[in-house]
Amino acid sequence: MRPILLQGHERSLTQIKYNREGDLLFSVSKDHVVNAWFSHNGERLGTYEGHIGAVWTVDVNSTTTLLVSGSADNTAKLWDVSNGKCLKSWEFNTAVRRVQFSEDDKMILLVTEPRMGFPATLQIFNVENGATETVSSEPLTVIHPEGPKITVAAWGALNKYIVAGRENGSVALIDPKTGDCISTNKVHEATITDLQMSADRTYFITSSKDKSAKIIESEFLEVLKTYTTDTPLNSAAIMPKVQEFVVVGGGQEAMDVTRTSSRQGKFECRFWHKILEEEVGRVRGHFGPINTIAIHPDGRSFASGGEDGYVRVHHFDDDFFSFKFQI
Amino acid sequence: MSSNWADEVDGDELPQTFTDANGITTHIEFRINEDGKKVKITRRTQKKLIHDVVNKAVAARKKWPKFGKERGKPPGPDPATTNVGDNIKLKLSSTGQIVQEVDDKHESMKQQLQNKKILCRICKGDHFTTKCPYKDSLGVEDAAASSAAAAEEAAPEAEPSSGSKYIAPHMRAGASKVGDRDSMREKRDEQPTLRVTNLSEDVTEGDVSELFNRFGHISRVFLARDRETNACKGFAFVSFTMREDAQRALEAIDGRGYDNLILRVEWAKSSA
Repeated sequence: MRPILLQGHERSLTQIKYNREGDLLFSVSKDHVVNAWFSHNGERLGTYEGHIGAVWTVDVNSTTTLLVSGSADNTAKLWDVSNGKCLKSWEFNTAVRRVQFSEDDKMILLVTEPRMGFPATLQIFNVENGATETVSSEPLTVIHPEGPKITVAAWGALNKYIVAGRENGSVALIDPKTGDCISTNKVHEATITDLQMSADRTYFITSSKDKSAKIIESEFLEVLKTYTTDTPLNSAAIMPKVQEFVVVGGGQEAMDVTRTSSRQGKFECRFWHKILEEEVGRVRGHFGPINTIAIHPDGRSFASGGEDGYVRVHHFDDDFFSFKFQI
Repeated sequence: MSSNWADEVDGDELPQTFTDANGITTHIEFRINEDGKKVKITRRTQKKLIHDVVNKAVAARKKWPKFGKERGKPPGPDPATTNVGDNIKLKLSSTGQIVQEVDDKHESMKQQLQNKKILCRICKGDHFTTKCPYKDSLGVEDAAASSAAAAEEAAPEAEPSSGSKYIAPHMRAGASKVGDRDSMREKRDEQPTLRVTNLSEDVTEGDVSELFNRFGHISRVFLARDRETNACKGFAFVSFTMREDAQRALEAIDGRGYDNLILRVEWAKSSA
């Protein structure tokens, strides 16, 4: 396969995301801009400009009308996907590390960092009628979670709970209405870097700096599968169709990169068999650690964003679809 | 032939177009090329309607005008932001051998080179010159120097018979060698000894043994020193326990630069 290289960013990528149909790919990086790309040919649809800090996170709703981005300039912005207009900007005390639309597109979950004496918060905003520019400036709920810093969070099935990943490697279920911590489980040894839900949100995958990725069932937080690699992981994604794979990626810390060769850096996307926990393949190409991975919803292509500032979109070859794992 | 436009239009051979039963359209026209010759151009085309089911929303999004930094740009990928990378093979495997992929490459390289003898140009060890542990201390010898050393080695054998050079009587062929040696000398001379000359003044025994001990065990190092200044007089004797080691050392060190001087190593002649 010949990857498509997207060079729309001048700094390292922080998150990439496909929309529901997978025809658009959104990428954010530390260079303040949100990019929208056509995933089939890599053509750039446009840019969303307005942030004045590194953009940490992005998410798009299921109808591809609204885009939300969270930034280190202490704001989260709501955009009109089709024309790049900023519909709403929420201001916070600290940087926004994670945003996500709820399953029904009616709410947004935001994770803000603890910094400068301000505690970490999980905030939920109502964007039910977001397209009409009458979005409320006040959050529906503000949760002040106890315990170590929350690095990642996602909505569970039917918005019944929020799954959060913490700096100390534990995952927690949080009630979005009361803010209570329903249960918690320390699954990793080091900070959780990414958390992506399966298509039906009954399980999710976490990646951690402790060099492993795990599939965790989302009702009792029981670890179902573990994929142990030899490098700190920054992202993990579940392939929704075609093959029972998960894709994990990472590499040594950016600060250590100049001290070793790119081969030793282990900057590869690794494909693991989801059920059998065996590594089945690797895709190299980045010359910096991989920061974020997203898989096309139809399972026919995937994209990775790296510390090197590139997004690489890979469309699988035919032999990928006919592959059968031999036990 | 006239190239008047009116003649071309009024020409008796007008373009013809017809469609056959298979749906192939043939278009024939006549044109006068730049050489003034009339040429017949036949074009056969077949139209095929391909149905593809596309999500309505996706199709609508493809028609969205570009915005932001891409505003007003023509449709299609812009080479400034979008490029196609090198072909990458995703080799899927059931046996979990991906981990060794990198090592395999290394291994196959080793296999290739197994039959060839790897010889370090610096210390004559069985590794690549670039991996030589003495690379820094000795430096890379150029090919000319090594061939010169080889030539030099071959030369002494021919010397005695040539007769062009003065040879001391006791060294001449047929002269009795054993008779005038005391037992102590004899024992020492049994050991393979190399004479190293052209050493610089500030060389010590330690330096010499460090230079030679990589080739094998050294039984004795003698460095000639000036009686008053205690500085090196420029030559030394190195005795090895094994003759092979001494031979390798001779080949490797002879003609090599050391402290800005070119060393000369030869078999020590037995002292009389």
